[in-house]
Amino acid sequence: MPADEFPSVAETVTQETINDYADLSGDYNPIHVDEAAGAASEFGGTIAHGPIALQTFFRSLTEWLGTTAPPAGTTVKVVFRAPTRPGDTIHCELREREGSEITTECVNQDGTVVIGAQASIP
Amino acid sequence: MSDDAPALSNVTYDELEVGSVLGTVTEPVDAELAGSLVGTIGAPGEAEVAPPAVFPVLFLKALRRTLGGIPNGGVLAKYELDFGAPLKTGGEVEIEVSIKDKYVRRERPYVVVQFAIDADGERALTGLKTIMWPTGPGER
Repeated sequence: MPADEFPSVAETVTQETINDYADLSGDYNPIHVDEAAGAASEFGGTIAHGPIALQTFFRSLTEWLGTTAPPAGTTVKVVFRAPTRPGDTIHCELREREGSEITTECVNQDGTVVIGAQASIP
Repeated sequence: MSDDAPALSNVTYDELEVGSVLGTVTEPVDAELAGSLVGTIGAPGEAEVAPPAVFPVLFLKALRRTLGGIPNGGVLAKYELDFGAPLKTGGEVEIEVSIKDKYVRRERPYVVVQFAIDADGERALTGLKTIMWPTGPGER
């Protein structure tokens, strides 16, 4: 198994990132791409698609493993705990490791946990 | 986008039946898509094997096509991902989309959608995506 430290991967999310992801995925949910709809929502503005923030976890995990993709048999559980907004910078930290199980958190520049992720790697 | 499905769906919580299969679709996984998801999203990269970020994109494409659009106002809550055989780029995957569960917790409605993704007859990934649904029981 790799080292105890997770690679330092940070991503700053912009509205352009969100719009690009909408084009890539076909998800044009107004809470992501329509500033008026976002402002009228409970979030008070647009929020990023969940996978945009999750990218810091995926990048950290694969760099940590030294692979492009997790090996067969890997399981990942992700909870989206807080929205990621344009201007946020997200990075992921390894919180706990026990054998082949790891617990990580992705946090924004204010220290707010936006994602909790656990992985079991064979 | 390669599909012609509507962008948004207003399918209600009540209209979704647990255990039902919404459909099965085929999607390409080309090197350009995979490369753009290796590093910073959208930045050109190279990948002979699909990075994990390809799968959430496939979820969205398949959901849009089988549900008739992305749930308008839905919010992603959870993922559970079981990785199978590494997915080589340059081919196609078959994605079966089904409704695994739905429930209300803390007065919020949730729908769990299952994606079974196969390539060349092998399971590449089984994914569960929990969405905070824009409508609850009895709402339209």
